[in-house]
Parts: sequence; structure tokens; C-alpha cells
Amino acid sequence: MSPILTLDAVQFGYDPAKPVLQDISFQVHPGEVVAVVGRNGAGKSTMLRLLNGLLRPGSGRVTIAGKDAADLKVSEIAAHIGTVFQAPEQQIFNATVRSEIAFGPAQSGLSAEVQQCRIDAAVQRTDLGEVLDTHPLDLDAAMRRFVAVASVIACQPDLMLFDEAQRGLDATRRALLGRIIAEEKSAGRAIVLVCHDMDFVAAHADRVLGLAEGRLAVDAPVRDFFADAEATRAVSVEQPGIVELAQALGQPVAVNAAELVATLAKKLKGGA
Amino acid sequence: MAVAHPSGADHALLFVPGQSVMHRLNPLTKLTCVLWVAVAAFALPPQGTIPLALVAIATGIFAGAGKVFARRLILTLVPLSLALFVVHGILVDHAGDRTVILGLDLSHDGLAYMVRILGRIAALLSGSLLFVCTTHPARLLKALDAHRFPPGMAYVIASPLLLLEPFTQRARAIREAQMARGLNLEGSFLARAKAFPALLMPLVTLALADIDHRAQVLDGRGFRAMPHRTVLDAPRDSTAQRVARWVILISIPFLIAGGILWH
Amino acid sequence: MALIEVDHLTFAYDTRPVLEEVTLAVAPGEKLAILGGNGSGKSTLAQWIAGWLPRGTFAASAGGVNIEGRPWDELDDATRAGTVQFVGQVPMQQLSGFAFTVRDEIAFGPGNLQLPEAEIRARVDAAVAACNLSHLLERDPFSLSGGEQQRLSIAAALAMRPRALVLDEPTGNFDPESRDALLAQMAKLPAELAIVWCDVTLGVPLAVAQRFVLLDAGRIAYDGDAAGLLAHPRTAEIFGLPAVAEAALMLRAQGLWPEGAAISADAGQVAAVLRPMLAEAAR
Repeated sequence: MSPILTLDAVQFGYDPAKPVLQDISFQVHPGEVVAVVGRNGAGKSTMLRLLNGLLRPGSGRVTIAGKDAADLKVSEIAAHIGTVFQAPEQQIFNATVRSEIAFGPAQSGLSAEVQQCRIDAAVQRTDLGEVLDTHPLDLDAAMRRFVAVASVIACQPDLMLFDEAQRGLDATRRALLGRIIAEEKSAGRAIVLVCHDMDFVAAHADRVLGLAEGRLAVDAPVRDFFADAEATRAVSVEQPGIVELAQALGQPVAVNAAELVATLAKKLKGGA
Repeated sequence: MAVAHPSGADHALLFVPGQSVMHRLNPLTKLTCVLWVAVAAFALPPQGTIPLALVAIATGIFAGAGKVFARRLILTLVPLSLALFVVHGILVDHAGDRTVILGLDLSHDGLAYMVRILGRIAALLSGSLLFVCTTHPARLLKALDAHRFPPGMAYVIASPLLLLEPFTQRARAIREAQMARGLNLEGSFLARAKAFPALLMPLVTLALADIDHRAQVLDGRGFRAMPHRTVLDAPRDSTAQRVARWVILISIPFLIAGGILWH
Repeated sequence: MALIEVDHLTFAYDTRPVLEEVTLAVAPGEKLAILGGNGSGKSTLAQWIAGWLPRGTFAASAGGVNIEGRPWDELDDATRAGTVQFVGQVPMQQLSGFAFTVRDEIAFGPGNLQLPEAEIRARVDAAVAACNLSHLLERDPFSLSGGEQQRLSIAAALAMRPRALVLDEPTGNFDPESRDALLAQMAKLPAELAIVWCDVTLGVPLAVAQRFVLLDAGRIAYDGDAAGLLAHPRTAEIFGLPAVAEAALMLRAQGLWPEGAAISADAGQVAAVLRPMLAEAAR
């Protein structure tokens, strides 16, 4: 399958003498959930802005859906890559939730019926049906986040960027976000999560890109990443508790409770 | 004032750190001088305003702000001189004598008018530059508070200077967010004009939310709970400066009267 | 007498009910966490406790908040400022917009109260030490990072010498490093200062508070210690259990957890329970 996104030896620096990112190469394929991790200042937000075209590489190449990103305007890239920013209030400008979600599809040139269909699906999936006529800024921060998510999924981009989208969400809303990620993945779309929360990464990502001092220090499947204490240390992240528990028991790395319990139950019952 | 970091409000100021006499004067004394220069710029003929401007420029250079003065004066006075020269020196049909120099038919009165306006602007500009180059706004605030001006007045001076930078940053973030959701800001003028509300709306609503929140923060920190504020490290004042300020203020009506008589 | 008393408070924004019959007392020096899911009303309750509500057209439909027996609006501005300070979620919004340096930002509040210079200096020094800001004193507050700004807004609040500090999801926008730095700072605050920490996650409040109030759809569902909170049926639903505790519970449901062994979120403790069982099974 051809990749949605390819970065090839990308280098970037506001000051060319002090590159923020160097020698970054990776691909993202349809149906993949990729987490970008690393400590503050490692270059995560710079990388995000290189992906959606807000920044352009100093050298190297970004290819989006087979096209060289250098030939695309930011608004053209937006048709392929949707971004949910950390502060949703900065991307919201309509007076109601309904018109906010409808904004993206309205730019697409699709028929009114198709547009409506996408809007309805986005509303239903983000559980915003009851607040459609509310001003987005009158909602609490968590619901506002989902307004931003809905307005992006209504456009059906090939790849979605989530910048700390799980932050400040309670269990119900985290589960909702997790469900949306899983649905997008099974629909063959790709997701890039910029995320500090390793429990969320363990539960939802397939693959981890670890940045350290502007370089891609790790590119590994999520299990291999968490199994490798050196890798987690190299990008200064904490291991999720469930990984620690699996390792303390000498079991293969598990990324959620159900997985570990399945392994343990087999051994405990088998021995009984 | 030590400036360890380039970003923030200091970035946008013309202030040049230093220890000159001008830097050490109480900001209110300097403010009084600026007021006097402003009045003088209008009251005095070019024979008064031009030397005044020269004195201010010399003091500015002495205080270490020569670069700022050169840049600002050139940026303002050069285009202005050109415009005045063309319009009043050549085009406008002033009464009185005309002379032909290098093929240009010049009006004496037009040129005199040009010199008068230039003198006025130069005096005003160099006087205010001298003030802003040698006075950090923080010191001005402290001086105002220490002299028991209403706290609201100091706030009106401080907050735009301080909040400009965060405001610009947010405008940039909104612009990026809207571009990333497909708003075309790189296209034709019409496309950009159409996109304008999408940039303005979040900026305005967020600014309003900020104002509301900040009003609560100020209340919570006891702003205006008392008629005056106590300040730490208030700029030094002296009897000599106090006397000087009164003398300058009292001289202003005489300056105006003198100006009228001189004309 | 309680320092802050929320008395049968019922409140709605326009027609949308937010708080229902909330009754709660905060004692001097108490470390209290108000926890709840998104939209549970905790931020609104925090604003009531801090005296930011009522204001304008927003008034209680029933009940209210008293400070040592007196309602908020009977207190003068200086007393209010010296009683409770509020630190919100967005660090930048907490800055006064009046000060060009960190030092002046901290001195701003005490200066407003027209305190003597020596007193202001003493308060600034104490707040700077408590919040570890001595290396940033001459910086422009708006040029600081979010974590530093939040420490600054806590320092500015402390300089008012309040008797209670209300924090609304203060680490909500933080990365783990800034969060840990703030937590370390919290531990150094004076013991007599009451803390009301509102949050949507369990981890940080468990490290800060001794008493926990669970707010569920605008009502108090639980008020007590940490053990009771963790055992409360709504806790797992609202905050989600740490995966380790979830695994222990799943094993128990399958009859694979020894009776009487405590369910824990700590990987080491759970491993200690399971290790002998695995060894036994392997034999």
C-alpha cells in the first residue's frame, strides 16, 4: 500500500545554524496510528507543523498522498491532513456548533446531501447532538475539543493530527476519543498523535516515533518501544504501569489490561 | 533594567538601557519636559524649533540612543521633506516671490512653510524619542504610582505595551489554525478578504474572554481596593527636580504668549 | 468555625443547571480536592469558593457561600483578596498585565493594598522562595513558559497572604516535567494555608489533598478520604482506573486473585501478589 505521508531527510530550523529537527525520515501508511513522543523542546510541535504545511522544511522532502508538499498550498494540504490543535478555541469561529462542523464540508464542493451525511455522522460520533445550536465557546473545554474533532472528521482527511487531544478529558470522553481513533483506523485513514500521556499511547498507538534533541531517536512498533527500556529512556518518557507490571512478572509486553490478563489467565489456569 | 530574554514587551520598546543623566532623571521630570517641547513645537517659529530639535538629538546621542534617533528621524523626516518640498515648494501656488534653481520653479513662501513644518515635527519627534529611549515604561509606572496618580491611569499605559506581544502570538496561532483547516490565506485578495472573519472572530471573542477574566484577576489581587498603590524601588526624585518641574509647567503659558508675540 | 462554607448552593448559567444543593465546608489549613468529570460543575464551584461568583447577572438560585459566617458581598475588597486567591487553568490569563518583571508581578497585589515597602519585600521574597522563581525575577512575565507562568501566578497569589488557595486544573495544560515541578512547589506551601484543588484526573490530587469531594452532575456524590474515593463506584466510571488496577480487578472477576489481597494501582504491589501464583502454576 502506498504511504499517505513520507518525510525524507527533513531538516528544519528557524535559524539555519541551529536546526530544530534534522534528518527526519519516516512514512505513515493508511490505517496506522502513530504516536510522536519526546520531552518538551524535542521538536514535536515543529514536526506537527511540518506535516500540515504550516512550516516548510529547510532541506529534504515531505510527500503527501503522492504529491510533493512543496507544490501544495496549506489549504490544499488541509484536504489531505486535518489537525486538531491543542487550543480548540483558536480554530473555532462560527456562532453555533452546527455551522462550525459544517464549515469544512462546505469548502469541499461535494453535493449538499453528501455534505449533510458527513456532518450527521461526525455529530453522532462525537456525541454533540444535544448542543448543535450552542455557541462553541459556551461549552466546556472538553466538549469544545470534540467540536474541533467533529469539524475535522467531517472533512474525512486521509490523515488526522491530534495535538494532545486527550488532555483534560475524563474517562468517558477519553473512551470516546479512543473509539473515534479506532473507527478512523479501520476506515483506512491514518492518525498521528502528539502525546505526553503514555497510557494513551500504549492503548491506542501502533507505532511510536520518539524525538530527542531534534532527531528521530526511535521508530518502533508500540510493544517493542515500551519493551525497550533504553528506547524509553532515550526519549525521556515514563513507562506505562501496565508495561511495568508485565515486565515485573516476566511476561511479554502488554499495552492494556485485557491483553495482560489474557496472558496471565492462560498461565494461571493452565497450571491449576 | 536587566533584559535577559529577547521576547516579551521589551522587544517592542525603543528603550535603550543606560546610566546617563537622562536615564537617571525622574520620569515625571522628563514627561514635563516632553510637554514643554510639545507646546514649544507649536508656539515657536523655526528659529526656535530647529535648535530645540538639535539639542534633543544631541542629548539623545549623549544618552546612547543615537542609532534609534537616526533611524526614526530619517524614516519620518526624509519622506516628509520630499512631500513638502514637492507640494509646497513647487506645486502649490503660494503668493510672493519665486526663484528658479536647477530648472525648478520654487516658491519662497512654500519653502518657508516647509521649514516651519519640518522644524515642528523634528522638535516633537526628537523630544518624544528622548523620553521613550531613556525611560523604561516600568519606571514611568512606578513614578506615576509613587506620585499618587490614580492606578487606572498607569494601567492604561502598561497593559497595551505588555499585552501586545501575547495578542500578536495568538493572532498568529489563529491564522495557522485556520489555514490548517483549509482556509485559503495564500490566494487572491478576494479570497483573503473572504477569509478575514474567520481570523477576526476567534481573536475578538478570545480577547473579550481575556478581558473578563483579567478583570477578575485584578479584583482578586486588590487592584483599586485602595486609592493609591505602594511601589517598590520608586524612581528617585529630588527637590531640584520638583522645583524644575514646577518652573517648566509655569513657563508654559509664557511660552505660548511669547510664541504669539514672536510670530 | 469553618473558613469557607458552601451552604445548599444551587446555581445555573441562564437556564442550564450547574450546581444542585451543594454543601461543603473548608477548614483552615485543610487540603481538599474537588474532583469530577468534564461538565460536572467543579470549575463553577471553584469560582464560588474563590468569590469570583456571584457577579453581574450570575446569582445563586438558592443558598450561597459564607466566609467565617459572613457572605462574600459583605466583605471589602482588601479582605476578600486576603482570604481566598484563585489560580485558573490558563497561566497567561492569570497575569495582571501591569508588571514588566516577575518581581513586579508578585509585588503588584501587596502594592495595591498599600502595604509598607518592607512588608511587600518580605512577602515577595517568601513567595519567590516558595515557588522557586529567584532565577526569573527580572524576566517579562509574558515571556515565561506556561509552567513558569503558573508558578508565578501561584507566587502572586501567595503574596496576598491568603488563607485559602483555590486552583482549577492548574496542571491541565502541562507536560509531565512542569507538572512534577509544580507538585514539588505545592509541598512547600505553608501548612496553615487551605488548598482547594479542582481536577479531572486522580493522579495529581491524590498527591496533594487529604480530603476528596466527588462532584457528579452538579451534586456531591462523595466527601471523604482517598480510600473511600477509590472504592466509590462512580470513581472508576468518571476517571477510569489505572490499567494496573483494572488488570487486578479483571483477574478477580475470573477468580484468579487471592481473597483478601488489596486491589492496587501500583505495579510493584500487584506484581508481588501475582508472582507466587505464577510460580505455583508453573510447577
